[in-house]
Amino acid sequence: MLKPTRIFPSSNSPTLAGERLLEPILQTENLWKVYRQGKVEVPALRGVSIEIFPGEFVSIMGPSGCGKSTMLHVIGGLAQATSGRVLLDGNDLTTMSDSARTLLRRHKVGFVFQRFNLLPTLDAYHNITLAQHIHGNGFDPHRFQVVADLLGLSGRLKHKPSELSGGEQQRVALARAIVSEPKIVLADEPTGNLDTKSSEAVLGLLRQLNQDLGQTIVMITHNPEAAAYGHRVLHMRDGEVVDGSSVH
Amino acid sequence: MIRYMIVQNVLHRPLRTFITVLAVAVEVTLVIIVVGLTSGLLAESAKRIEGVGADIMVQPPSASVFMAFSGAPMPIAIADKLSQLEYVQAVAPVLLQFNSNGLEIIYGIDQESFLAVTGGFVFHEGHDLQGPNDILVDDVYARSKKIKLGQTLRLFDHDFHVVGIVEHGKGARLFVFLSTLQEMAGAHDKASVFFIKCDRTDHTPAVIDAIKQLLPRYEVRPLKDFISLMTSSNLPGLGAFINVMIGIAVVIGFLVIFLSMYTTIIERTREIGVLKSLGASKGYIVRIVLSETTLLCIGGAVAGVGLSYLMSAIFIKLFPTLTILITPLWVLRAGLIAIVGGLLGAAYPAWMASRKDPVEALAYE
Ligand SMILES: Nc1ncnc2c1ncn2[C@@H]1O[C@H](COP(=O)(O)OP(=O)(O)O)[C@@H](O)[C@H]1O
Ligand SMILES: [Mg+2]
Repeated sequence: MLKPTRIFPSSNSPTLAGERLLEPILQTENLWKVYRQGKVEVPALRGVSIEIFPGEFVSIMGPSGCGKSTMLHVIGGLAQATSGRVLLDGNDLTTMSDSARTLLRRHKVGFVFQRFNLLPTLDAYHNITLAQHIHGNGFDPHRFQVVADLLGLSGRLKHKPSELSGGEQQRVALARAIVSEPKIVLADEPTGNLDTKSSEAVLGLLRQLNQDLGQTIVMITHNPEAAAYGHRVLHMRDGEVVDGSSVH
Repeated sequence: MIRYMIVQNVLHRPLRTFITVLAVAVEVTLVIIVVGLTSGLLAESAKRIEGVGADIMVQPPSASVFMAFSGAPMPIAIADKLSQLEYVQAVAPVLLQFNSNGLEIIYGIDQESFLAVTGGFVFHEGHDLQGPNDILVDDVYARSKKIKLGQTLRLFDHDFHVVGIVEHGKGARLFVFLSTLQEMAGAHDKASVFFIKCDRTDHTPAVIDAIKQLLPRYEVRPLKDFISLMTSSNLPGLGAFINVMIGIAVVIGFLVIFLSMYTTIIERTREIGVLKSLGASKGYIVRIVLSETTLLCIGGAVAGVGLSYLMSAIFIKLFPTLTILITPLWVLRAGLIAIVGGLLGAAYPAWMASRKDPVEALAYE
């Protein structure tokens, strides 16, 4: 399973897909994020308290502008919270320096974006191994092979993003996100730019990652059908989680 | 990994890469050619002065080793005193004039003593100076200016008659009678330099001591290691000129790299956001930018060295009297100057890239 790192002591609990353990992998307490635009303050998160458990696949839904992306950025350590607490695998992100959050992202978080965000100059193979390089443990051929096979990328590794379909690009992005074994995958509308068929493929892969590898996943989506791939759905409105109970 | 990434980046925008590399190449070429031209000029004239075959050179007080730039001639009567010293075999007074038109030095010589010191000219064509308006030119000058024996050559508003073409290497490329040049320069009974031949080479230090006793403030130099004296550091103006030219080259390189990396980083804002989302540190991003800069600068330096040899070949073809000295030391220095200047130019863009906000960078269109 996941290797504990020296920098962030891991909870080290054995995880099983779908099984709830006492310790959440991610926990927020009264989380606020306020953007300042000149003199105007825009509160994007207004006291969000959630818990995500190891092995869970959680969907987040809500209207545009309700703060979903902001929440993903804050819990993934890309942005600093204004107040409240974010505990990721036992580490409080809100008290961390910028470089400590960078290390945390490197070791514990895998992002997937709506726009794929692959590096256009690198082929698929290097887009994926780049993550391993940044991670710092060097190239792990075994892990790479497992991930590439799982995502059905073996035949497309020599292609640049411009030579891949949207679905293929998102699969490469997914491979990049999980190749260095993150504690949690945060996906911001991963199917938002895909046609139905590719969307289904990507969602199926996310479910497979969750079931086969026990990968914890938080996924934002607009689409109720997509949201149904998760174990439960968090509904957001105006910067608040209004309903987090719906479990499938 | 980083190496692969920067190579891909550089290949991704071939025109930008080409222009940047070209600018660095021009910078390197500028340094190599300016230094090569000045040191070539110096080395070449030093060689010619060594070629005079004298053991000692006496110049007026505080004169430069670069004789062409020294004024204030000495009374020619000193020659008589010098020739009476022990171990002195011959003394040749020479008056120098600088022909700013063709960047050439003219020697006014006393044929007999000059012959005694130098061992005489090797004639390709023609014969000794005979009339007051006669002139000897060396073979290089004759070839480059297409001068024929017997033709008229106009210098200092004076028509000279080319009576001989001699082998190069005897101090100057043009020789006229001392008296003629004295009259033209209004320097009657004056000389700019005395070349002294000792009876034996190992008597040189003794003779130098004797001359220093006789003429305390005069510049007395052995000609044995003359080339080592002829460096730009012995001529403050030239050293400054070289430094200014190098400075200009560095500024060009700095600005081009700055602009190139600055625009690159703006163009790649979103990619930087992606790297940050993957957990790349500031140091990692700085390393990518500086590695790419180093690659561009090394490319530019290599191209610049090639361009320097090409330019120098063209120069020599156009101006056969020029010498351009390209030394490994200066090739290396020019390359290092380009790389260091480039890294300085990339420092701010790299810093800017490293501290981009990841969320804003990811939202960049
Ligand atoms: N950088 C920013 N500066 C100011 N306001 C922002 C910024 N980013 C997001 N917002 C605002 O915060 C709110 C939540 O945005 P976002 O998290 O992107 O919503 P969602 O992903 O649910 O569509 C919106 O009102 C948006 O306008
Ligand atoms: Mg959003």
